[in-house]
Amino acid sequence: MPPKAVAKTLPRRGGLFTGVTDNLAALMIGLKYFVNPRRFSIYYPKEYPELRQGYRGFIILNKAKCISCAACARICPSAAMKMIRVPVPHPKEPEKKVTKQFPVINYQRCIFCGYCVDICPTEALYHVNYHDIVYDNLAEMFWDLETFQKEPEYKTALEGTPVRLLIHEEYGLVKIPARGVREDGE
Amino acid sequence: MSVLDVLLAIIFYPPIWQLLILGFGGALLIAIVAVWFERKAAARVQRRIGPYWASPRLGGLLHLVADMMRYMFQQVIIPRTVDYFPFLVAPIVGMAVSILPFAVVPLTANPSYWPLPPGLMEYSLLLALAISTLPPIFLIVAGWAANNPFTIVGGVREAFIILAYELIAILSLLAPAITVGSFNIVEIVQAQGFFKWFIILNPLAFLAAVIAIAMSTSAFPFEIPESEPEVVAGPFTEYSGILYALNMGGAYMRRFAFSLIASLVLLGGWYPVVPGEGVVMGYLLPSLVVVAKAALVTLAISFLRAVYGRYRLDQALDLAWRLVLPLTLLAILLALIEAYLGIVQPVKPDAAPCKYLLLIYSPRELLVLDYISGL
Ligand code: SF4
Ligand code: SF4
Repeated sequence: MPPKAVAKTLPRRGGLFTGVTDNLAALMIGLKYFVNPRRFSIYYPKEYPELRQGYRGFIILNKAKCISCAACARICPSAAMKMIRVPVPHPKEPEKKVTKQFPVINYQRCIFCGYCVDICPTEALYHVNYHDIVYDNLAEMFWDLETFQKEPEYKTALEGTPVRLLIHEEYGLVKIPARGVREDGE
Repeated sequence: MSVLDVLLAIIFYPPIWQLLILGFGGALLIAIVAVWFERKAAARVQRRIGPYWASPRLGGLLHLVADMMRYMFQQVIIPRTVDYFPFLVAPIVGMAVSILPFAVVPLTANPSYWPLPPGLMEYSLLLALAISTLPPIFLIVAGWAANNPFTIVGGVREAFIILAYELIAILSLLAPAITVGSFNIVEIVQAQGFFKWFIILNPLAFLAAVIAIAMSTSAFPFEIPESEPEVVAGPFTEYSGILYALNMGGAYMRRFAFSLIASLVLLGGWYPVVPGEGVVMGYLLPSLVVVAKAALVTLAISFLRAVYGRYRLDQALDLAWRLVLPLTLLAILLALIEAYLGIVQPVKPDAAPCKYLLLIYSPRELLVLDYISGL
C-alpha cells in the first residue's frame, strides 16, 4: 500500500508582534552574554588541546616496513604523495645496488585525510597526533625521504600546557589539565 | 587680552573646535573605538574571546592603532584599468563630506558659539540632513570608478540601500521639527528640556532613526554593499592601504555624524547641562555632552553586530519599504498629534520657518489666518 499523502504546513511566519518580541529577545540574550561572557576559546599556544592517539596529524614513514607497493601514492586524493626511486643494497648481495620505490610527501597539498595510512598493507605509515607546525617557506613543506622518516619537532609542546576541553553550556569552556601528549611520557 | 584668552578664542572658534577637534578628531577616535568595540563585543557575545597578546589591560585596543599605522604606510595599489581621478578622489571627498554635518549643527544654546549666523541657524536641521545625504554618492562613484564588476555590483547595492534609507532617515529626524514647529536645532533641543526628550515622546521616530543610521552606514544587519562572501568587498574591492582605510573609517564617521544629529533632536541634545556664559559652561560642557550621547548611539549601533546576521538585499529592502517606512509615517503622525495637543511648547511660534507646516495642522494658533493676513 503506497504511503498516504500528507499535506505539510510550513511553520507560520510570525506577525509584527512576534517580530518585535523575537528581536527584543535576541538583543536581551546578546546583552546577557555581553555583561557575563562565556569563553569558548583557549590561550593557544600557551595552552593547547590534548589530542588523542589516532588523531590524523602529520604522517611519518617507517622505511624498513615499506614494501614499495605504491598503494599510498595511488589512493592520495590530492596527489600529495609521490613515489621516488632510491638505490638500496640488494637484500641477498649487499655489494650490488638495486632501485626501490619509496613514498615522499608534499605538505603543501596534503589534506590530512589519512587514506594513505589506512591503505598501507604493512603499516609503514603512521600519524603523529599533532599538526600545528610552522614553516618559514613553502619549499620546506616538501619532505624528502630523510625528513619523512623523522617525527617533526612539536614546538607548542615545549612551551604550552596541554589541556583537555569540555564544552559546558552554563560555564563555557571547561579546561582540565591533561597529562601530556608526547610519546616520551612527559 | 592675555595669551590664554587668545588661545582659548582660537581653540573654541567653532570651525576649529567643532569641525576639527570634535568633528574630525572625535570622529577618528570614535571610529577606532567603535571598530574595537564592535569586534570585542561580538567576540564576548558569541563566546569566542581570544587572548589579548598586545595591551591586555586595554582589551587589545592598541591592535587597532597598529592597524591604523599599517594602513597609513601600506602601499597604495591603483590598478591600471580604473578611472584614475574619481578613484583617488572619491574616498577622500566622501570622508570629508561625512563629517561636514558637524559644521552646521549647533552644539550649544549660546549664540556666540554657533558655527552659522543666527539667520542660517533657523535651517540648521535641514542643512545637516541635506549634507548627511551626500557621502553615499561618493561610495557609488568609488565603486563605478574602480571599473570592475564586483565594485559596480557593490555600488548598485549601495544605491538600493540609499534609496530605501534616505527617506526614512530624513523623515524620522524631521519628526521632532514638526512637533516643535521649527527647523532650528537649538529650538528643538530647548523645547525638549529636561524630561521631554523625543526618545520618550516619539519612540517610533527614534527606532526608525536608529534603523536608518544602521542602514546608511552599513552596520549590521545591513552590511549589504560590502558583504564579503557575495561581492568581495563591495565598492572597495580595488582599494588598498590608506584609501581603503578612508573608505572603511568613513562609514564609522558617517555613523557618528548621523548619531550626532539624532542625539541632538531626539536625545535632548546638551541637556542635562544648561548652557550658560563663558567657554566652559557655554560651549565646552554642552558640546561634550552632545558628543558623548552621539558616541553612545554609535556604540549601541555597533553592538548590533554581535546579535544579528546580515540581511539579504531583498530582505533589507523589504524591511525598509514595508515595515520601517510605514513606521516612520506613524512617527510623523504621532509628531503631528503631539503638536496638535501642544505637548511641547514651541519656543517662538511666530518666527518658525515651518510656519507653512504649522498652518496645515495648527488650528490652535490659527496661523493660516495669520499668514494670509500677513500677506
Ligand atoms: S593524508 Fe591524504 S592527502 Fe595526505 S598524503 Fe595521505 S592520502 Fe594524501
Ligand atoms: S602503502 Fe605503505 S608499503 Fe605501500 S608504498 Fe606506501 S608506505 Fe610503502
